[in-house]
Amino acid sequence: MAESKIVDILAVFPDLEPAADAIEHLRSLGVHDECMNVISGIPVTEAMLGRPSQWTNVPRIAMGGAILGFGAGVFLAFISPYVYPYPVQVSSQAFVPGPPTFVVLFELTMLGMLLSTFLGVFLDSLFPNYRPMKYVPEVSDGKIAILVECSHVEENKITDALKKLGAESVKPAEAQHL
Amino acid sequence: MTDHKNHAEHAEAHLREKHLMLDPLPRGRMNEMVMESMRHITWKFWVVFGILAAISAYGLFYSWGVMIAEGLGVAGVNRPVYWGIFLVNTVFWIGISHAGTFISAILRVFKAEFRRPFTRAAELMTTFGLVQAGFSIFMHMGRVWLSYWLMPYPNQRLLWPNLHSPLSWDLLAITTYILGSTMYLFLPLIPDMAMARDRSTGWRKTLYKILALGFRGTEGEWTHLRNAMNIFAFAIIPVMFSVHTIVSWDFAAATRPGWSSTIFGPYFVIGALHSGMGAVITVLAIIRGTMKHMKYFIRPEHFDAIGKLMLIISMTWAYFFFNDYMVQWYGGDKWTKQLLHFHEAGPMGWMWFAMLVCNVVIPWAILWNPKWRSTPWLVSTVGIIINVGMWFERYIIVPISLTINRMPFTWRMYQPGIEIPLGIGTLAFFALLYMAASKLIPLIPVWEVQEGQMAHELKKFGRETVVTVSELE
Repeated sequence: MAESKIVDILAVFPDLEPAADAIEHLRSLGVHDECMNVISGIPVTEAMLGRPSQWTNVPRIAMGGAILGFGAGVFLAFISPYVYPYPVQVSSQAFVPGPPTFVVLFELTMLGMLLSTFLGVFLDSLFPNYRPMKYVPEVSDGKIAILVECSHVEENKITDALKKLGAESVKPAEAQHL
Repeated sequence: MTDHKNHAEHAEAHLREKHLMLDPLPRGRMNEMVMESMRHITWKFWVVFGILAAISAYGLFYSWGVMIAEGLGVAGVNRPVYWGIFLVNTVFWIGISHAGTFISAILRVFKAEFRRPFTRAAELMTTFGLVQAGFSIFMHMGRVWLSYWLMPYPNQRLLWPNLHSPLSWDLLAITTYILGSTMYLFLPLIPDMAMARDRSTGWRKTLYKILALGFRGTEGEWTHLRNAMNIFAFAIIPVMFSVHTIVSWDFAAATRPGWSSTIFGPYFVIGALHSGMGAVITVLAIIRGTMKHMKYFIRPEHFDAIGKLMLIISMTWAYFFFNDYMVQWYGGDKWTKQLLHFHEAGPMGWMWFAMLVCNVVIPWAILWNPKWRSTPWLVSTVGIIINVGMWFERYIIVPISLTINRMPFTWRMYQPGIEIPLGIGTLAFFALLYMAASKLIPLIPVWEVQEGQMAHELKKFGRETVVTVSELE
């Protein structure tokens, strides 16, 4: 029973290089990539850390929003002129003319895409999230934190390894109010 | 040998002093500098803030209240000039708003590294400029409480907005732009809010905690954020172009002398960039001169880079202006010729010449010189002059061009009334919002600066030391 207990370790590294080395070493110790998370104050690419690419739904959500926006534009430009009782005939223009329709479609498609991109960040990152979380404020000072999820029996082995690899501090991660 | 070494060391030191990207400080120190710049509020700040608040209260809110109570009759608009300073200011503020997108999105797409420390200052101008544009268009409406009639929604009156009209497109385009630019301002702000949250106490901590949304900087959060910012950077550029093009169609779609021009779209867009860049450089000089630690982040190299852009934009504006003028003049239409003559030799002819001096002569005379355009007070003065010139340009396009039409018995000069305090009120309110924001949110996108500093280094090629940039994304 005790062996199945999962603990989180938070190691803080002074820089990118030792953090990347530590990730490689953790992998050799049998820690899977899904059991690690890197926290940093500036965007650090997966390639720099030798980590697998992160999945994001933001582009798909953006595309979905663009399609919805386009649909709203189609309704406004093509359908709505027919549903109200006082038709607006402008000069010799067709009842649903091309160029103005293009403007309406463009603006609503872009609006849908921009809104959904913004929403996508919230959905994918689970924002807003004000619950206690595992975190170290030093990351915004340039430190790189690695959050490792491991079984209780491996805790000491991993802690020692992280210290040897240059971690400035290694401690059990505790969720705290940010 | 020693001479070469000394020379190389001197060159390296000079490059580091010159370029923010080569002059990194410890990140903790840099964060603290940004926090101090927000917390450091002097009595001078409060005096200016108080004056601007009083001007806004009188010029914007009281005067608007008077206009709502008395009706549009207190304004100077009347036959044949139905569009006056309200519309001039609408176009002017939308123009100012273009700088944020230009700097933040276009320069981001093209990976122009000098943009990093002032993208947020420019984006804030976009959002606050659009607020003033919104005020101005609502003032122009007169019965502002009926503004919801613009919206397409099922209603008892069984009326529907005319979607063939450029004014309806304006509603769609400006709504898209104000929402898009506000979201684009907020997304890169999230990591800086998290940084501020970690370094604050009291009400600031609560504010930043709410705005940081729980951001920690995990790989996933950065990936989602970076993807979204890339999409925004590409998507908001055509939206920006569409907004001012559609604003130009408010005029160009009418078959009026002086307005009916196929080149009005790009002419308006470049005019917007002209005034927007002028405003950005003015704001940067004020920030640099008045806020603590800003001299570290905003350096002469940035004024030099923006100065070059201003020079190119000024030349492009001159090209479009001449193109528009030439075709209208060559057309030989009686009323258009009359209008062009009225622009230059009428009672407001001084404004037409002042426009050319402010938009072309002065920028060209000063911005060609690298030393002059790197001097903050000088280049920001040029920015102010350009904005005066661009305001004149809009004044010439709107009320002055409306004075002359095909019915000479209606000709009448426009005399603004309550528009003047209202216009000054929007200017004061813009500055007021900006001052408040400068003490509440980090004006420097500090994580972007730190990311840029990580990517830059000095490299030796033979005997020469040069700046190199790595592409980190």
